[in-house]
Amino acid sequence: MNIVEAKNFKMKFGNKTVIEDLSFEVKRGEIFGLLGANGCGKTTTVRVLLGFYAPTAGELLVDGKKYNPEDSRITVGYLPEERGLYRKENVIDTMMYFGELKGLKNPREWSIKYLERVGLLDKLNEKIEKLSGGQQQKIQLGITIMGSPKLLILDEPTKGFDPMNRRLLMEIIEELHQKGTAIIMITHYMDEVERLCDRALLLKDGVARAYGRISEIKKEFGGKSLDQIFVDVYGDENE
Amino acid sequence: MNKYIFKVAKFEIVRQLKKPAFWAATLLIPALIGGIYFISFISTQEVETNPTLDENTTVAITDEAGVLSAGAPFVINGDKEYGKEMVKNEEVDLYFYIPKDFLESKKVEFYHISEGLEIFNNDGNIIKGLLLQDVMKRTDEVDALVLMGGYEIIDNKMTKDGEEANALGKAIIPFFIGIVFFMFIALCGNRFLMTVVEEKENRISELILTSVSSRHLIVGKIIAMLVLGVVQILALVIPILIIVLINRENQMIGSIVSMIEVDPVSIIFSLLLFAVSAVFYAGTCTFVGSLVSTARDASSFIGPAIIMMVFPLYFMQMFMMEPNLIVQILTYFPFSAPVALMLRNGFGTISTVEYLIGILVVAISAVIMIRLAVSSFQKNAINFGMVKPRFLKKK
Repeated sequence: MNIVEAKNFKMKFGNKTVIEDLSFEVKRGEIFGLLGANGCGKTTTVRVLLGFYAPTAGELLVDGKKYNPEDSRITVGYLPEERGLYRKENVIDTMMYFGELKGLKNPREWSIKYLERVGLLDKLNEKIEKLSGGQQQKIQLGITIMGSPKLLILDEPTKGFDPMNRRLLMEIIEELHQKGTAIIMITHYMDEVERLCDRALLLKDGVARAYGRISEIKKEFGGKSLDQIFVDVYGDENE
Repeated sequence: MNKYIFKVAKFEIVRQLKKPAFWAATLLIPALIGGIYFISFISTQEVETNPTLDENTTVAITDEAGVLSAGAPFVINGDKEYGKEMVKNEEVDLYFYIPKDFLESKKVEFYHISEGLEIFNNDGNIIKGLLLQDVMKRTDEVDALVLMGGYEIIDNKMTKDGEEANALGKAIIPFFIGIVFFMFIALCGNRFLMTVVEEKENRISELILTSVSSRHLIVGKIIAMLVLGVVQILALVIPILIIVLINRENQMIGSIVSMIEVDPVSIIFSLLLFAVSAVFYAGTCTFVGSLVSTARDASSFIGPAIIMMVFPLYFMQMFMMEPNLIVQILTYFPFSAPVALMLRNGFGTISTVEYLIGILVVAISAVIMIRLAVSSFQKNAINFGMVKPRFLKKK
């Protein structure tokens, strides 16, 4: 069974159609690229998938059902584009809170191991607001991957990351992938998609313009690179 | 309790209890009450003890009016100038001059060396004590009792049915609970708003809503805020009760305490109303908080919310009489109902059935508000701007 299924999904905000009759699947254990220019409907698709918005028509299912954050059988980690944390709280309390909500048996132990790995163990009792932007991103990532989710959704995961953190993130993604986590990556970096993703969906104006294995998409567009395909699809707008 | 609600509530309670600002706000009012009590205690002590002469204080009196009995203590033969000279030369500490026209002028002149700013100096009253003592010596016991007013008037109010009436005594506890409710609103209102706004302001809504449902998140937060409110209220009420207990022998406090009539049904209803009103207010604030995105937006809503709650106070006089249409509307309009019901209960102008209906209206409204807050938070959690009603949006 697929981990994500979108069936004839439509989304309208007032009179504005954001997604128009979209169907796609994400297979278990694969890395899936959700691609498109800003405002094409990628984040909206994820928000509907996670139940923040109700779809205008069709359905988006996670593990065959509508997503419920409290269903322990479907664990989803989501690193949103709009990221934040409780600024006045300290690192360990924040991580333990999310760990408890995500049903970790020993959230403190997990958090300490993670902080050690990302080099933030000395910030354990530091207030979040005292951390640098990069350090805060590491905490957000830690919260996202807590409990080895079955599905990980990363919206612009490397946005604002320095090369060191970017490498660390890629390592973690790779590890989770090895463990069987399906990953949806929303990114503008086509080199990342080519390197990491098994399949992808390219959206424009809420419509799928390309969908399938990376090699199939490239073949469909005459063997061009993903970067070039992106430019070709969106090029019409700039002409 | 649902485990997610419990986890959210626990986190919110612990993090608030760790904040110095919470304890500052919690202890500020009891500290102020204590401070005011201390100052009034000190000043009472000053007023009570100073008029009594101690061994080291020397006094002189010139009695030109002949008010004092022959042989009264401290009376000198010298005139006013002589007395003033005695003060200047520090031969006496206090000098009183009773002029010839004392009966017409009703004035006694008092001279002493100033010791700078003397807020509590009440030495001038010593002459009153001396004059009273002198008069008492010349008066029999009955006259003295009448003149001193040293007797108590026992007020026995009756109803038209001939039974004992104690409307004020019955009203004391309901009104006290009403005052505590106001304190609760004043202390907790902003926190109710901020607890939801914080999620948006910190851009954490999406992260949290993938871990817990909006329903459990909001309910958990409301429970946490109510628990914290109760902690603050207890910190406020307990010192007041202690002060009352310590001073139960005090004439004023004693007479109020003796007047209190404990009506268990009325107290239970008042507490029930307090509870549902607090939940309703929490739901309202949370709903408003879910519509706005910043602390500044949120704070501009707290004022109107409180005004709506205290609106019945503008019609206070109407609540004392047989309820008219305005009073009836205010009693059952959810926003004004808590205060209106408390007032009518206090004044004894509401029947048990009406009171229960009012409580039910507030309870149902509280549930509706919480449901609205949950659905609004779910919809607006990821709108990082303020939600505008449809008619305000540009077409």
